[in-house]
Amino acid sequence: MAARRGPARGPTGARFERRRRAAAAMAEEPPEDGAARTLPSLRQLSRGLFNLIPSVLFPPQENLDAQKTAFVLRKAWTLYSVTPLYGFRRGCLRDYARLLSAFIAAEKQKGLAVEVGVELDIKVALSSLADLRGSELDQAGLLVQLSSRSRASSRNSEDKLLWSGWFCSMFGDDLSENVPENFTCLPLFLTHGAESYTALVGSWFQKTFDCCFRRLAISPLNLSWMVAMWAGYKLERAASAVELVFSMPRLSHPLDISYAIHPEDAKALWDTVQKTPGEITQGEVAIFMDCLYAHFHRHFKIHLSAAKLVKVSTGIASAHCDGIVKILHSQYLPGVLMLLTELAISQIQ
Amino acid sequence: MDETVAEYIRRTVLKMPRDEIKMMLQKWGFLSEAQLQTLNFHQQKDNISQEVVQLCEVNPLNSYFFLDNHIYQNKRMWSVYQMKKSGEEEEYFDIADFKKKFKGRIRSALKNVTITFKEYEDNAIWIRVAWGTPHKKPNQYKPSYVVYHSQTPYVFISASVLKSNLPLLCQALIVASNYRDIREMELRSHSLNSLKDIVFKRYSQNFQTYSPKPVQGWNVEAENADRRIVHENRSVKERIHRLNQESFGCGPQPKLEFAQYRLDTMFKSDPKMDVLDKKEPFRCLVKFSSPHLLESLKSLAPLGMADAPLSPLLTCITHKARNYFKIREKKESFVSP
Repeated sequence: MAARRGPARGPTGARFERRRRAAAAMAEEPPEDGAARTLPSLRQLSRGLFNLIPSVLFPPQENLDAQKTAFVLRKAWTLYSVTPLYGFRRGCLRDYARLLSAFIAAEKQKGLAVEVGVELDIKVALSSLADLRGSELDQAGLLVQLSSRSRASSRNSEDKLLWSGWFCSMFGDDLSENVPENFTCLPLFLTHGAESYTALVGSWFQKTFDCCFRRLAISPLNLSWMVAMWAGYKLERAASAVELVFSMPRLSHPLDISYAIHPEDAKALWDTVQKTPGEITQGEVAIFMDCLYAHFHRHFKIHLSAAKLVKVSTGIASAHCDGIVKILHSQYLPGVLMLLTELAISQIQ
Repeated sequence: MDETVAEYIRRTVLKMPRDEIKMMLQKWGFLSEAQLQTLNFHQQKDNISQEVVQLCEVNPLNSYFFLDNHIYQNKRMWSVYQMKKSGEEEEYFDIADFKKKFKGRIRSALKNVTITFKEYEDNAIWIRVAWGTPHKKPNQYKPSYVVYHSQTPYVFISASVLKSNLPLLCQALIVASNYRDIREMELRSHSLNSLKDIVFKRYSQNFQTYSPKPVQGWNVEAENADRRIVHENRSVKERIHRLNQESFGCGPQPKLEFAQYRLDTMFKSDPKMDVLDKKEPFRCLVKFSSPHLLESLKSLAPLGMADAPLSPLLTCITHKARNYFKIREKKESFVSP
């Protein structure tokens, strides 16, 4: 499988070189202060990467306020794709919060209570996440938080965060380019908290902005992209293993196989497979996976390629085929979000 | 009756599923049939447990501590230990002596322990130990269980969370049974019976047999195969079936839930691929898990998901009596130390 020189195709088949280069560029450069960073070469820029120039001069990692994005890390987020929102006004966040709060209260009255037992007042907060975007062409992220204050306790008690969800677009220009005025593109939606709250918030957004939510499943092919890319990233401290979990569910006795590789060895393998700097091809990912399959087969005589890859996990992030991710490192947050945005967009289109 | 014991019995009965309480109390064997008859199982669980406590107080025996044994039967993780004898003499096993020495050794190190014994028909001695500290009473909710078949050098231990007491437990066992040494085997499972099957070699072993023709009426079709396909690759299927039989044997496999392999072997690839060629090992940790691991592995080759014969790393599990392995490279084949 020769590495291709032409435009690389990402896991979704779409022309993908910009994002792959941005991801690879981010991987090569350690997070030092801005002055010491080197810019990607002109060769990379010349292939129509004008959209990336602002982010190159203001590298995403520096823009990301670690405190503001800390809420993202180390939580399991359930993924959805969202079609563009019609008539969304960034200045009306307070009004939206009020309306959503009223909607939730009304649904509870109808008997679609989310919590049995203690009476809860649900407080809604909407805020913009200015840092969570790839380029100036992306919309800023939008965070929705549901907190509760138990009626039983006094005003002094702390609000308890019940549920959070956030909309985001990281280099999602493929979508926003082609969309008429009055539409806001935030194709990726991530939630953490009870399913019932997700349903409530989702149905309000659907009614108000005429958009559509769909669970974002991650195919084994996309998972293999993720594990190959993430295995190649440099991490300063001792990282956790690069783990691939396979499942053979349809046997009479289902079998699960966890295949965990020492992160240094996995990175060493990927470094010899990935030949073109700043570019990752489908061929390279396939070779990487074939190497892992071959090593496994040599020992156990089992064809791992016949099993279903259901989960991948590295020191950077982990992802499950049901569309659940956990991001562990703020340094690589933009890269991970970019990949997920790409998947969300391909599900919409 | 001690306050904590009464509480323990009450809480344990409450944990039982309602429709299984009667059966578990019967299995427990502590209350007589007549006593069980007096219990009303149709009332609130709270009341049932109170009545059980009251009945227990009447009994003179103290093996009530085995009540929790049946609840957690399949949730407990069992490890296998092998003891080594000092000499060749076959000593007569005296159970009373064993109990006395065991209790003595443990009590000499820890005052706050509850030790109870129970003997079963298959020559198994069950020992239940609830551990305390110099300042705290024994914790009845996290006991260690030991199963010892006195005619064998094997001991099965479910240590519970308090692993720091393991060395003392092991010491007490060798002292009580007149052995010299004890070591942990690399064999663990939730199913105690399967561990016994493996270690006592009670499964059907794989013998090399020569059969020139397939046995009559032998169904070579894999379970999930399409029933419309009858003659496809018949000889290949028969060959796979035969090789599988040789590796795994004909009878049912002991029930294990997982196997773990720590691989410290070299990464070898086709030179044409021009990939990793390091002189150091490619370090991996592989874990297989399944409700019935060995049957699952046995089904892989007939379904085309594995080659036949399956790797000896997997087929050796039963006769090597281990499911934890460390594999190093040695010339052309693998060794496990």
